[in-house]
Amino acid sequence: MTSLTVHDVSVRFGGLTAVDAASFTVESGSVTGLIGPNGAGKTTLFNVITGLQAPSGGTVTLDDRDLRKAKPYKRARLGIARTFQRLEAFGSLTVRENVLVAAEMRRRWSTTKYDAAEETETILGRVGIQHLADARAEDLPTGNARLVEVARALAVKPSVLLLDEPSSGLDESETDVLGVLMHALAQEGLAILLVEHDMPLVMTTCNYINVLDFGKIIARGTPTEIQNDEHVQRAYLGSVAKAES
Amino acid sequence: MAKPKRSASTHRRHSNPDVSVRRSLGPIVAATVVLTVAVATWGGRPVTGESLIQLLIFALPLAGIFALAATGLVVVYTTTGVFNFAQGAIGMLAAYVYWQLHVDWGWPNVLSVAVTVLGFAPAFGWMLNRLIMRHLVGKDLVVQLMVTVGLLLGFIGVANTIWDPNQSHTVNPFFGIEGFQISGVTLTWHRLIALVVAVVLVVGLRFLLYATRLGIAMRAVVDNQGLAQLSGVPSERVSSFSWMLGSCLAALAGVLYANEIGVGASLVLATLVPAFAAAAVGRMRSLPLTYLGALILALLMQFASVYLSFTGDWQPAKERIPEVMLFVVLLLLPPASLKFARFSGVRRRARVVPPRQGAIGLAVLVVTMPLFGLLQSATNLSRLTLAMGLAIVALSLVPLTGWAGQVSFAPLAFAGIGAAAFAHFGGESGRPLAILIGAIAAAPVGAALSLIAVRLQGLYLGLATFAFAYFTRDAILNNSRMYGGVSLTTPRQTWFGISFSGNQAYLTLLTVVFAIIALALMAIRTSSFGRRLVAMRDSEAASATVGVNIFETKVVVFTISAFVAGLGGSFLAMFYINTDSGRFEAIAGLGLVLQMVVGGIALVSGAVFAGVFQLPIIILREKSAEVSWLLWLEPKLRGLEQIAPGFAALGIIQNPEGAVVAVGKGFAPLVPGDTAARKVASAERARKAERYAAQSSEIGLSIALTASSIAEVERQLRVTDALAPRGSS
Repeated sequence: MTSLTVHDVSVRFGGLTAVDAASFTVESGSVTGLIGPNGAGKTTLFNVITGLQAPSGGTVTLDDRDLRKAKPYKRARLGIARTFQRLEAFGSLTVRENVLVAAEMRRRWSTTKYDAAEETETILGRVGIQHLADARAEDLPTGNARLVEVARALAVKPSVLLLDEPSSGLDESETDVLGVLMHALAQEGLAILLVEHDMPLVMTTCNYINVLDFGKIIARGTPTEIQNDEHVQRAYLGSVAKAES
Repeated sequence: MAKPKRSASTHRRHSNPDVSVRRSLGPIVAATVVLTVAVATWGGRPVTGESLIQLLIFALPLAGIFALAATGLVVVYTTTGVFNFAQGAIGMLAAYVYWQLHVDWGWPNVLSVAVTVLGFAPAFGWMLNRLIMRHLVGKDLVVQLMVTVGLLLGFIGVANTIWDPNQSHTVNPFFGIEGFQISGVTLTWHRLIALVVAVVLVVGLRFLLYATRLGIAMRAVVDNQGLAQLSGVPSERVSSFSWMLGSCLAALAGVLYANEIGVGASLVLATLVPAFAAAAVGRMRSLPLTYLGALILALLMQFASVYLSFTGDWQPAKERIPEVMLFVVLLLLPPASLKFARFSGVRRRARVVPPRQGAIGLAVLVVTMPLFGLLQSATNLSRLTLAMGLAIVALSLVPLTGWAGQVSFAPLAFAGIGAAAFAHFGGESGRPLAILIGAIAAAPVGAALSLIAVRLQGLYLGLATFAFAYFTRDAILNNSRMYGGVSLTTPRQTWFGISFSGNQAYLTLLTVVFAIIALALMAIRTSSFGRRLVAMRDSEAASATVGVNIFETKVVVFTISAFVAGLGGSFLAMFYINTDSGRFEAIAGLGLVLQMVVGGIALVSGAVFAGVFQLPIIILREKSAEVSWLLWLEPKLRGLEQIAPGFAALGIIQNPEGAVVAVGKGFAPLVPGDTAARKVASAERARKAERYAAQSSEIGLSIALTASSIAEVERQLRVTDALAPRGSS
């Protein structure tokens, strides 16, 4: 059982408060949603969790281990992997190499022996991008490049997986496949934190949802609770409902 | 509704106290070192009012000139994102123009200055932007840097072609040596003018940037060119103006400094690094801080020359204050955070030659290069041999810059360290293994540099390595434990029963060594470490999140690079036989990096290109001197020989992967049986067509639109009916 806890984390850029005392937990075996309007601070929180952004205050702990001093690569080795909202695939490498780099890195700290190339093929198959294996990542359309990032993150064999808008750029059926994959990964014991704007995907995949607005967690609960939450409707879903009607 | 809490300011004060401690630590350490050096080298001259005034009177105008040069850099960099290495060269060209008008043609001084600074310079800047610089916006940093480095060398070539560098071109100070006395020290009118011009300009520029529409537009363009354009800023005109202004400032600095340095390439060197150092203090953005930087630098330099006396090994260090300051300032900047990729836009150089193909290519090289050497005259054979030696040094850039994306201008400095170490430890007796000494000596220096440089990225890293190269050449290589100002002898040996004293044999040896190192590097590229290097270049942030230790990776690749360069240094020393530190000039290193980038920085074949690049022109020139009816061509080619390397860099704007790749791509589909290449070429064509179609549809145009389909649409929309004159239907 793994749990990642974000406790009282704040991030300020000069006078701007991007994240304001946010706290939540991500448990293994479940998909936790982190939703909110653009600019709510979701990606900043991802950067704090993975160590790319130092918080102005608060702590991130992985199974009671304080990550404050851990550099990004250490956190990866401890089992935190992520994808990026603004694509960060290794553009000049092929899709296969993108995953291979991660699989090979893991050999340096993994206690079990495995064949990185074999592992790579398995993951490519699992994410459903085997047919793209020899394409250069920068030549791919956005949706596929996101899947490359998912595959790369999986190659780290994480216990916590952070997905930053993985479905944007995917069509409906591809999104469904992604949903199924997330379910399966959670079943295997992964703790998934999902930032997503695709509400149907969030509502069907997540076990638990945190709603972020102006850097603050304004609501939390199960999908049903969130859908009925007054604050959320006002801040976020309300506008969506209006737009759809 | 509850008011949002504004607690940011209170939080900011007590957040991360150790960061502020660490930040103030740097300057304190630097100040302590300066003090220690000052105490240790104190020349004994009493500090009196007079000597202090003398210090100021010399330092302030100098600061003004540095500030002008640096401001030109900053203005162009902040508005166009291009760091202009050629800034000093523009100043040199302007100084030549001034010399031509005033000294050679005898125009009045004021008119000459006006025509140079207000006529020639802005026109030159405008043309530069029009023809070259506007194509650089948004390009890969290596491309941006190397194009301006190319122009730096190219402009020197142009100047040397027009004005014979062997003649001295001197200009007198404005109003001669007259001036007025301050406590017994003369402040010449010329120096006073330099100072006043600098002060007036800083006030004027500050006003321009912050209080005029143009200035605000200039700053908007830096932040986001596309957005600025959308909100009606004519970004093209703004960058044009910036280049004109930058060029004027360069010209001013050049004209004002020419009487002290002399008109010529030395003028470039005298302003290049000081301007970098001053601009670095302003973090390439702030004009007031840039001025402060120029002032500190000029004060330090004058302070050293008035009060300090460096002796023995450290004598040359006195002249290297600008380089040291540049290096130190860069290190004091806050460390760069992990670099995110800018996924779109820049297409990276990423060609990976399949190992078998690479091996075949190298085998061909090993066979043909010595054969080619056989056909050459003794002089050209010697040049070719030197070229192969330099190619080995250039190889050191392939993993470092080509794959890992770490800009380094110091390969020749590492070669120098390697060469000196080789000479001291076994080079004279010449055991084969002594060759390795050079590599082993250079590697830890590379590691040490990387330990410091790991916190820098991109431009700052490039500048730091440039400062390092400068400092190495003058202060480290001239140390008595290295070359110490004399030349060291490393005779060529007889190994494995073969004497390498002749160039033909040595060329063969170098080619074989090159091939072996190249093979080793290609093996690294296809290994997991090689993939990791490329991954790190593409996105440091993403690499870190899959567990790559960026620090460790950078240190290792710097070490490998220095090792290769050091090895090349050993071989170069054996080529020269008598070697001194003059073989490892920083500017020559800059040229080597340039040619490497022009050839193809990510490829071992790029290194061959870098080495032999100039040979065809040289050979052609010599041949044309022998043939009577080609004699007219010879002087023209002499100029070209100097200019070509610089302007060849323009090619990388179109072909950032380098000439070797561009040429290779063109020829590959023609090779019979190479179906893969043909496929790649047709895929490339298809992709271009697709991109064109996508662009067209983005702006609402379909390329399928023909006259008949337009007519059909119009018919359906009854446009024609509506447009038809009333009553006609």
